[in-house]
Amino acid sequence: MSNRAITTSRRKTVRRLFTGLSIVAFMASPAAAQEAKTLRILISQSPWLNAFVALVDEYQEETGTTFELDVTPFGGMVDKMRNSVRAQEGSYDLININAQSLAEMYAGGFLTPLKQLDANFTLPEGVLDFGSSAYWNATTSSFDPAGDLYGVPTNGNVLALYYRSDLYEKAGLDVPQTWDDLIANAKALHNPPETYGFVSRGTRESILFDFSPTLFSFGGSYFADPENGDYSVTLNSPQGLQALETFIALNKESGTGNPAALEQAELIQLLATGKAAQGVAVIAAVADLQDPNKSIVTDTIETALLPAGPGGQHASVAGHWMAGIPTNTPEANQQEALKFLKWFLEKDTQIAYVEAGGIPVRKDLADTKLAEDPSYRFIRAFSENADVAKMNTPLKEGVRMKEVISLYLNRALIGEISAKDALNGAASEAHQVLSAAGYKLTPPKML
Amino acid sequence: MAIRPLDAVRIERANLWWRIGSLAPAVIILAALSIWPVFNLAYLSLADVQWASGAAVVEFVGWRNFHELFTGEPVFWAGVRNTIVFAICAVTLQMIFGFTMALAVRRASKLGRNVLTAIFLLPIVIPPIVIGAMWRLLLGRDFGMVNFIFASVGLPQIDWLGDPQFALMSVIIVDVWHWTPFVFLLTLAGLESLDQEVFDAAKLDVKNRWQELRYVTIPLMMPTILVTLAFRMILSFKVFDEIYLLTGGGPGTATEVINFSINRVFFAQDRVGMGSAMSLVTIIGVAAMIVCANLVVGRRRKQRTEA
Repeated sequence: MSNRAITTSRRKTVRRLFTGLSIVAFMASPAAAQEAKTLRILISQSPWLNAFVALVDEYQEETGTTFELDVTPFGGMVDKMRNSVRAQEGSYDLININAQSLAEMYAGGFLTPLKQLDANFTLPEGVLDFGSSAYWNATTSSFDPAGDLYGVPTNGNVLALYYRSDLYEKAGLDVPQTWDDLIANAKALHNPPETYGFVSRGTRESILFDFSPTLFSFGGSYFADPENGDYSVTLNSPQGLQALETFIALNKESGTGNPAALEQAELIQLLATGKAAQGVAVIAAVADLQDPNKSIVTDTIETALLPAGPGGQHASVAGHWMAGIPTNTPEANQQEALKFLKWFLEKDTQIAYVEAGGIPVRKDLADTKLAEDPSYRFIRAFSENADVAKMNTPLKEGVRMKEVISLYLNRALIGEISAKDALNGAASEAHQVLSAAGYKLTPPKML
Repeated sequence: MAIRPLDAVRIERANLWWRIGSLAPAVIILAALSIWPVFNLAYLSLADVQWASGAAVVEFVGWRNFHELFTGEPVFWAGVRNTIVFAICAVTLQMIFGFTMALAVRRASKLGRNVLTAIFLLPIVIPPIVIGAMWRLLLGRDFGMVNFIFASVGLPQIDWLGDPQFALMSVIIVDVWHWTPFVFLLTLAGLESLDQEVFDAAKLDVKNRWQELRYVTIPLMMPTILVTLAFRMILSFKVFDEIYLLTGGGPGTATEVINFSINRVFFAQDRVGMGSAMSLVTIIGVAAMIVCANLVVGRRRKQRTEA
């Protein structure tokens, strides 16, 4: 072989090597750019879990981001959340927080303000904030749209009215617009033990939640002006008394006879087996009530906006979930978590969420293809109730407030004390607790 | 070979070091796992823990938590009352049923003994969560088996878990069902270990089975009975799972118990200081009860020895 031939051969070899390396480099660079991230999420083992998992799978397919879901029973969520956010380094990049624990998480300084991660980020038009509970104002210690944005809703659970359309039709009844209408319907349909006219939860764990829409719609409130940080206790007002008397009458006169022991599972069972003609329950119960394997009233159970009080005011209560990004997680993960949340809030994603069995967090889905599908006929009632949903005890002592007030309400429901004594007792104790915690309050006026 | 005095001292000293060295790890572990947490609990009971800017703020508040506990926590005291009623009723019934079952099994044939033991022990091996679900299904107002049977024989439906008159009684029934096998097991072991010769000798003096039980079996079984009673009393003060699963402490405060109150305050409400104060008061109360029980047992033993 001549020298020229050798030189040519070497050049070819170098060129091939160079080409080969270039291809490797070309292939490697996008791979590095698209390196899969892993998001660690704490999530409750609730009926909406499967829908969330379906979305996570879709996002993983679209972006390559992988997920580690720590699925935890509801009762263990708060402990896991506290343990993680209080540690030096957190175990989760995203935590799902129930409405009840939001104030504690926001006020404790455990979550990253979302504008700190993206200065332009706001909740898109149409996304519900459930009584401004996505925002926290540290100065007034309240959920305030003027405060910092910390949460993104992940499940829009609110209370709604359930009724049996076939029984309404047979008895010639209309969907109740007021609590008086509901009482009249309940009396007309009450035929125990075959059919109960009305059911709602009254245990110490749930009574405050289920009583709140009645209280709010009657013009009553738990606190004077929680949005502006005035937590003076106002529960024992004439409106509050009227609301509680209505709630008790409805449950006692047309209920199961044991409303103070009725829990969610039993309530859904009563509706699903056709033993209850009407009831107040979370919108998430729709999944079970429309499931032919679990319900015999799939085609006849309907949902509606909760009735209005004497002043025409409708109200519901927020039992939703918000996702927050803890401060004790690497910034790259925080950014990745926010990216996922932005995608989660998109309208198309929300439609897919509903189709997978989830409860949406947008109120503008009534004009989508879902509205025409009878399976999703609850969307309208959801949107209407979500629009008037409020937080019941929107302060960081919320869990304690709930327990103090619930015990008095529960005792009134079982007839141990009068409605008036229950409200006065609850207001007095709640005032004492909040005063001791350092709130500046006006003492409650006794009824 | 005789050991010289100096060697004896050396051996004694070596034994002493060996005893200290071999016991020390266990003592240190015990102190770390049992005593230190109690001291920590005592410290926290005098503090208030708040969280701000992601960090814990521990403030020393002196006796404030105890003052509040004794003056402003009515639910806790309702729990104390219920726990005492629960413990006395449940343990008394368990002792009577468990001991009776043990006597029946001891007198049964070998086959009968095996079958009865297997049946009697069944409740104790079922996980508490299953027991909760099972009894909720049995005692439920609308879909419960018990009310179904009541209705089929024309009796009125009873709200076993939701009526304040029946709720605590229902929980006691479940606890008796769950824990009677424990008493059965311990008393059966005690009966099996009794000397048969004593019974043979006693046949000369006793006229019937009742007298044998009253004057021979029960006195001989007294140490076992007292130990079992103490065990059950302590365990019944720890009741939590049955209440949590069946009634959630309600309706009202009808089934509130001490551990339920502590759990709510400590974990749900995150009031570490108050939860610690409640725990400490409970520990002191139970410890006082154990000391009293020991004194009573000691005095009885002394009286019997003197007699």
